[in-house]
This record gives sequence, structure tokens and C-alpha cells, in this order.
Amino acid sequence: MFENVQMPDGMNPEVLSHLMSPQNYGKLDDPSCIGVTLDEKTGEYVIFYLKLDGEVIKDVSFATNGCQDTVVIGSMFTSMIKGQTIEFANNSLGKISDKLGVMSKQQELCAELVLNSFVAALINLKNLEDGKKEEMHVIKTTESCEIEENKEESNE
Amino acid sequence: MNNLYKQKHQLWLKIVFASFAINDEAIKSKLYDFSQIAFRHLKWIGSDILKKGDDYNYDRDYKSVEKFTSNHELLNDLKSDIIKIQELYDDSILSKRVITDEAYLLEFIDTLLKTNDQKITAFDMAMKWNDELDEEQTKSLVLFLFEESYKEYELIMVYAYMQARTLNHLHFNVFQDLIDESHFHLKSFGNMLSKLGILTLPRELHEMTYKVKDLDKFVVAGIAEEEAAKEMCKQLSESISNEELSKFFDFINYQENYHIELMKKLL
Repeated sequence: MFENVQMPDGMNPEVLSHLMSPQNYGKLDDPSCIGVTLDEKTGEYVIFYLKLDGEVIKDVSFATNGCQDTVVIGSMFTSMIKGQTIEFANNSLGKISDKLGVMSKQQELCAELVLNSFVAALINLKNLEDGKKEEMHVIKTTESCEIEENKEESNE
Repeated sequence: MNNLYKQKHQLWLKIVFASFAINDEAIKSKLYDFSQIAFRHLKWIGSDILKKGDDYNYDRDYKSVEKFTSNHELLNDLKSDIIKIQELYDDSILSKRVITDEAYLLEFIDTLLKTNDQKITAFDMAMKWNDELDEEQTKSLVLFLFEESYKEYELIMVYAYMQARTLNHLHFNVFQDLIDESHFHLKSFGNMLSKLGILTLPRELHEMTYKVKDLDKFVVAGIAEEEAAKEMCKQLSESISNEELSKFFDFINYQENYHIELMKKLL
């Protein structure tokens, strides 16, 4: 899955663990805010829920119909930021790529899908605080990993 | 949302994954037959709920499969769930049918519990295919199976959700064909994950996945996914040294061609 990871059977144990049982997966009851990144062309999405206690991320979850790279990245990112502050989570946006190592273009797009949904949740929070009625904030994209994969194939 | 539907959804998954986990071919086959019956129960219960003006969703409490090491452990757990769900049935004709089917399954389980116990290897993380595949081939196979087993579960449930709500006969029939095909694929991939010792339950479906707002858009995206799955099957078939596996992935690849034709009928 990730090009720089190795284990005896060709799998990174951490990746395999997130793949077999994704952490913080599913809906969250009574979230403080909800963000979505949606590729309108393919229908691929990531939805991100945050439950906050002041500045602290008390609980977090995500769901997706995307590929397993998206699931693994979502699982890793939510595990990193759960129990931390929003500031820590914002700073972690860059750290996630360090954790994952060298990623293909496709995997970078999967990571963007996850991270943008977190950003969308924070925008939703800001909008709610400003008194706007918004069930969830949606960021629309046309660059999910599936499209990019086709682009790469057609370029070959 | 409807608790009976939720419990039945979970029970269907539990039976079908029990059939994947058990090594004995005769027990595996019989449990798989029961899982197909349980899926029909789920469809009928769903239809009954909609007819009454109520609704259901695909939320689950059953998130991951327990890593049982013996048939008896797994069967006792399954038995306990079947007994628990009985209190949710009413006295309708449908409930009576479901109750008698499940009573028969309980008798079958009790018979098995009186026989010699057998080891379950579906969760041992061995990741070996008869020692015939090298690391790279095993990795490709594992990733393919994880991706596609989830996808087949997703397709079964999404098509079932749409089928329960359509009044278009052509659509109804196409959905049924696609559901049947995905059942076969899920069975094939689930048994392969079990053989590799990495059997896992597909992740839960969020309502954004199964509440399809634009069928045409969904079908066009679905056809692109089928094309991608075909390509993955082709690559696996070419890269895997095991002739039996290679032929299997060619067979699946050709099946995807006809899925695309079926899906085009929905446009």
C-alpha cells in the first residue's frame, strides 16, 4: 500500500492493522461539527465528525466509500488527533505525510480527501459559531484518487 | 430506526462470516445456504417495514468479527445471537417463517456442537497461499481481497436498498441480478481471506453511501469502478504464479463485463 514500508510478508503491520480494523470509523452522536469532502464526479466522499470540549477534540470519527488507502489514512489521522487540541490537529496535517512516508500521487489525493474533510468540519464549526444554520460543510473536489488513477493510466 | 432490521442485518453477517471462517466444507456450505436464507429474511423484513410506513438503515453495533479459534466457540456465539433475536419477532406469517427457519438452524448448530470440535484458522494471520505465492504476489492478493470484499458487501447493500424502493420492474430485476452476482463474489473473496488467515468484517456503510440521490450518476461511477476492478483482476491474473488463482481472476474479470452491461440497463 505504501511504497516505503516493508514487513516479512510484504505488509506494514501498522497499515494492516488499520486496514483490518479501522479506528474511529462510523457516525458520531451529537457532534460539534461535521465536514465532508465530495468528488461529485465519482461520488467518492469522506465525512468527518468532531466532538469538542472547548479546544480539545473529545471524540472524532470518519466514514468513506473510498479506497482502502483513504480508510487507512483516515484511521491513522483520527487516532493521532483524538484527545488533542484543535491546534495540534491543524499542525498534524503536515505530520501525517511524515508518518506515512513516501506516497504515490494517488495516495496523496486520498490523504487530501481525509484532511480536507477535517478542514471542512472546522469551517462548519466556525459557521455554526457565527450563527449560520449548516448541517455540515461540504468541500467539492474533482480530484479524488480514482480519477487521478485513470489520469495516470491514460498518460502511460 | 428499526431494531429488528439492524439485528437481522448483523445476524446475516454473522452467519455468512461463520461460513467463511469454518474450514470443514460440508459445514461451510450448509451455513452459507442458511446465510442466503437469512438475507432473504432481511429483504422481506425490510419490505414489511417500508410497507408499514416505517424505515430502516444500515447502522451496526457488530463492527468486527471475533477471532475464534474453534468451531464450537464460533457456533456457541452464533447460537446465542439467534436465541436473542427471537424476542423481537411478532406473530405475523413472516415472523413465523423466520422463527421456523432459525429453529432449524439452531438444531443444526446443536448437532455440530455434539460432534468433535475443529480448529479455525481464518484469523491466524498466516498470510500464506499453500506456500506458492511470493511476498509481492501475496501482498497484491491481500490488498485486492480487502478492497473487493468491502466493495461487494457495499454493492449488495446499496442495490438492496434501491431495490426495496423502486417501482420499476426492469430496475428491480437488474438490482436482483447484481445482488446475486455480488453474493457470489463476496463468498469467493471471503473464503480466500479466510484461507489467508485474515478474515475481517467489511466496515459499516454510512448513509451517504447507500442513499443514492442520482441513479444515473451512481451507475456511471459504478461502471468506472467495475472497469477498475476488471483491470485489478487482469493484473492479478497476470502477476500471480498460481494457475488456479490466475484462472479464477480471469473468470471474475469476464463477469465484470456483464455487470457493466446490466448496469447500463439502469441508465
